[in-house]
Amino acid sequence: MAFSSASGNPPSGLTDRSGSFFKLIDTFALEIGELKKEMVQTSPTMDKEPVELQGLEGEVSGVYLQSPHCGGVGGERDSGYDSLRRRMSVLDRLSQTHPVWLLLAISEEKANHILLKQPPGVFLVRKSAALQRKVLSVRVKEDQSETPISHFPVRESQYTFSLEGSGISFADLFRLVAFYCISRDVLPFTIKLPEAIASAKTQKELEEVAQLGAGFWDSALCNQRRTSPRPCRPLSRTLSPQRTNRNREVGGSQQRHTTYCDSAPPTLRSHAPPPSFHLERRHSSGPLCFVNPLFLQTHHHHHSEDHSPSHAVKSDSDLEHAEKSSVKPLSSSEGSEQHADKIKLNGKSRPPPPRPPPPRSMPRRRPAPPPPGPPAAATTRPKSMPEAVTVAARQHQSPSRRPAPARPPMGAKHSSLSKTASSPIPVPSNPPPPRPKKPDLEAHRCHIALDDETIAKALSRAKLPPCEPPPAVPADVLLENNARGSSSPNERGRQRLSDMSMSTSSSDSLEYSQSPGFSLGLAPSPSRHLNHQEPVEDSSEEDEDGEEDEEEDYGVGLETDLEMRLRPSFKSRRRRVGVSLSGGSFILPRALKGRFRKVSGMLSSLMTPERRAVKRIAELSRDKSSYFGSLVHDYISFVQENRGCHTSGMDFLQTLRQFMTQMKAYLRQSSELDPPIESLIPEDQIDQVLEKAMHKCVLKPLKSMIEVALHDFQVSSGAWQQLRENLALAKTKRPQELGVDGAVPPDAVAIEKIRHKFLNMRKMYSPEKKVSLLLRVCKLIYTIMQDNSGRMYGADDFLPMLTYVVAQCDMPQLDTEIQYMMELLDPSLLQGEGGYYLTSAYGAMALIKNFQEEQAARVLSSEARNTLHQWHRRRTAQRSAPSVDDFQNYLRVALQEVDTGCTAKTLLVHPYTTTEEVCSLCAYKFKIPNPENYALFLITEDTSQQLAPDTHPQRIKAELHSRPCAQIFHFLYRRVPNLNLCIPAVMQNGNCLQVE
Amino acid sequence: MAIRELKVCLLGDTGVGKSSIVCRFVQDHFDHNISPTIGASFLTKTVPCGNELHKFLIWDTAGQERFHSLAPMYYRGSAAAVIVYDITKLDSFQTLKKWVKELKEHGPEDIVVAIAGNKNDLGDIREVPMKEAKEFAESIAAIFIETSARNAVNVEELFQKISKQIPPLENPEVDSNESFKLTRQPALSTRRCC
Repeated sequence: MAFSSASGNPPSGLTDRSGSFFKLIDTFALEIGELKKEMVQTSPTMDKEPVELQGLEGEVSGVYLQSPHCGGVGGERDSGYDSLRRRMSVLDRLSQTHPVWLLLAISEEKANHILLKQPPGVFLVRKSAALQRKVLSVRVKEDQSETPISHFPVRESQYTFSLEGSGISFADLFRLVAFYCISRDVLPFTIKLPEAIASAKTQKELEEVAQLGAGFWDSALCNQRRTSPRPCRPLSRTLSPQRTNRNREVGGSQQRHTTYCDSAPPTLRSHAPPPSFHLERRHSSGPLCFVNPLFLQTHHHHHSEDHSPSHAVKSDSDLEHAEKSSVKPLSSSEGSEQHADKIKLNGKSRPPPPRPPPPRSMPRRRPAPPPPGPPAAATTRPKSMPEAVTVAARQHQSPSRRPAPARPPMGAKHSSLSKTASSPIPVPSNPPPPRPKKPDLEAHRCHIALDDETIAKALSRAKLPPCEPPPAVPADVLLENNARGSSSPNERGRQRLSDMSMSTSSSDSLEYSQSPGFSLGLAPSPSRHLNHQEPVEDSSEEDEDGEEDEEEDYGVGLETDLEMRLRPSFKSRRRRVGVSLSGGSFILPRALKGRFRKVSGMLSSLMTPERRAVKRIAELSRDKSSYFGSLVHDYISFVQENRGCHTSGMDFLQTLRQFMTQMKAYLRQSSELDPPIESLIPEDQIDQVLEKAMHKCVLKPLKSMIEVALHDFQVSSGAWQQLRENLALAKTKRPQELGVDGAVPPDAVAIEKIRHKFLNMRKMYSPEKKVSLLLRVCKLIYTIMQDNSGRMYGADDFLPMLTYVVAQCDMPQLDTEIQYMMELLDPSLLQGEGGYYLTSAYGAMALIKNFQEEQAARVLSSEARNTLHQWHRRRTAQRSAPSVDDFQNYLRVALQEVDTGCTAKTLLVHPYTTTEEVCSLCAYKFKIPNPENYALFLITEDTSQQLAPDTHPQRIKAELHSRPCAQIFHFLYRRVPNLNLCIPAVMQNGNCLQVE
Repeated sequence: MAIRELKVCLLGDTGVGKSSIVCRFVQDHFDHNISPTIGASFLTKTVPCGNELHKFLIWDTAGQERFHSLAPMYYRGSAAAVIVYDITKLDSFQTLKKWVKELKEHGPEDIVVAIAGNKNDLGDIREVPMKEAKEFAESIAAIFIETSARNAVNVEELFQKISKQIPPLENPEVDSNESFKLTRQPALSTRRCC
């Protein structure tokens, strides 16, 4: 695969392409973790930076060069043990054992109680009731702190998690914790996994631990393991220079990738062509970490505070205070040049913005930068590429997508530096000049971390040699690279690390490099994207369009990304990662570019946490063995089969909205989402993410059915006909007759354009995306109005104009569209801009609907007014949380008849509805003439059991769903041989259609 | 600082300067970075108030009679309503009274009502005496202020007054975050007969 490198590699290894990238990352992380730990052990004087650095330097080269097969150098290394361990990264261990350490619900007292018995470094994450935030509670050494337990508040910014006082932020809690297992950053020391977790050799062991949950801490497992000393690796191994020898790498794909960092000089490597990423994209869990770029502050804390746990708080009551004090000015005591360098380096890399840059910045987009592969990889890559392309092509049925462009042959870059440097990069050749940046301290503190980069970054940070030139300046980087070329092996290793850090940083960081004044506190703002992002709300919304079709193929090959980036018009949310990464890279010298490319390649293979969470929920919804999945499934079936049970379109939409709101509440409360969503998504984002997920799980499958149903309701009520007539009448009116006064109306061409947008809007299932398109229509209308006069128009002018436009578009379907948005839009969005213009559109449509009446009376019918009032009340009331009970009300029951086989219906069945009642409902629904001969049976794989009349099918269902091993079961309504319901359960094969 | 979003609805006859007031209010500190607006009928502005930030979401309405019936959709959920009249047009003051009445009857219960007599730069053709308007405002416990959107008089003050009348949030609800996990109902009630 891409990383199999070094010339000395056995060709056999090359065949193992899949997943090796992940292994690489995991290996990094693992190694780093171990190294760090060793570091702590070997240099108890942590406060002394030099010591640390020295150790690190050695460690680093070890990280990349170490091969399990040559572990003999250190003598103490047990290769078998290591290779086992290597299979599970810190992140893996954390993810699998979160029930142990992620104890959001426990109190501070309880946390203290648990941790007191633990050795220093052991931690857990809980939610502080006083602070209303998550805190990392850590057992500290007695001599380091007044209290044995310190609590570090977790800051949740819009997209990320970070420790208070640290500039490093993470996509989720797991990554945060994993990072602090490896690097202490603002902590007094690195935190430690409980021994049982850290030393678990197999998945199974971890599972056992996880099963214990919070009980782990009191278990024998926890206590017994704690005493056994961790095997520690001799430092020597990492220091041994011969390790740097590439040829040492043998076998084992993991080892192979590790080499890549070490194998090629940075300049060469930087040109690594994109490896195919389709493979790793299949993994939903990203690599452990890359480092998140911005971290100026960290260093300051690091050095200036002498490792005192200044951010830690002794107790909840102090938290608040600590929070304030922990935010230190960036410029605080800059210790040494070395620090400055680091900072520059770090500052240079910037987390990609959460949202894609607006279209105008798109030309800068480059093809996704794949992680660089070592030269030897050349042979493999070409193979993988066509494959990736086909995958991509297959999965992209969206018309807007073109087949992914072929990548430049991988070999090219290896052949020679100059060649690669000049090789065509599929990027617009004239990138726009960088925008002026303004200092933005807050942004600098980097809330917007990108996923998984963090650890590598920290690593690199720690390893930066004191005299390293600031890579922030491209030219310097080049120099640096050159200089490196001639450096000793040891330095090389180190340098590689720093390379890595560069590569992990997003290319946006270039913006930093552009700013001459960039030093410490006043770094140029990384918020360029932010700035773009916000004002151009409407343009960023364009992204939503493409996404509709894309959501499905999220896991596709990188090629797609590549291609999208090449096409400025392409809207893809995916750009969030990829684009922002590549954005800005144009300023880089090519040598550097390559590095960035490889990094952003890595990154683009990862999903944003939001996408990941949505995807996870969507998967859960398809998993019928989960309770959530069965609820969603039952509901969807119910809706599809029982359209008739709604009295109106509005009624129908309301039940849909209610269901979604209820399911959101369920997901928040239930433990089915594993890991808990709180650990993946910052608190204030959770609702949005859940909303999005519900759109996908519920609205998407039902969209066409909803459309039909709404239309049918309209037709049957006569509203459709009336609307058409009124639209036709309104269309004949001049703008003035509709109240337009002065402003210039859109011409026919513009109307056509608007119609087109409305048609696009109809294709969306997500109410939010529909609204975003509606906003674009409004924007267009405004632009036309203003272009011709230069004045600002308020609602007095806009609403009549919108009415005119709606009339001119002559699209009666728009009415149901508006209804759809009005009823289904997330209530929290109703007050904002989207809500405003949606209301205006509704108003315009209402006026048109009542046009004839209005002509007569000049006022809306009282009926229309009442409707509005009701809507108001309803949508406002809906904000109250639903009860969890409400949505468990569907039961799918199959009817088995001798002659006709099985038919199934989804019935509305409340939890306390008895079997008897269900039977009579079935009799009615299935139109059974002789219900007394029928009964309800529970069918499992090998049993069939008649349910007693007084049992509760819903509760039975709930029970079955909650069993650890999911069983397939069905409720079957069928004839009983004997009329007596009190016969023993009839045992027979339940060989009917699967209805669940 | 916590940001509180406050929906503010603008009511009043067409032509009294509703949107001018808002544009003035918003644009005096026009920040290209935080103004995500499609057009001037929906604008936002954030102002500090005590230890909170108030983000005004300002909903403009069309003042023409024919759109009157749509108003409930605009003022629903509003924390405040600004009813604007033109001091040079007595009619607009009459319309204002109708709005006050409607709000009392159908508006949100605790809505803060502010009365703004706009165009006070045209004092020489004034039709609505300030005293009368002020007394009316007092009678309904509304904020009263005369403004001039054109000369940027009292616009800021208008919104400051509104800000002050918004009741501060109670201690952010300490929802018991000792989050409990919903466990599935146990108790399998299936039973075999006989």
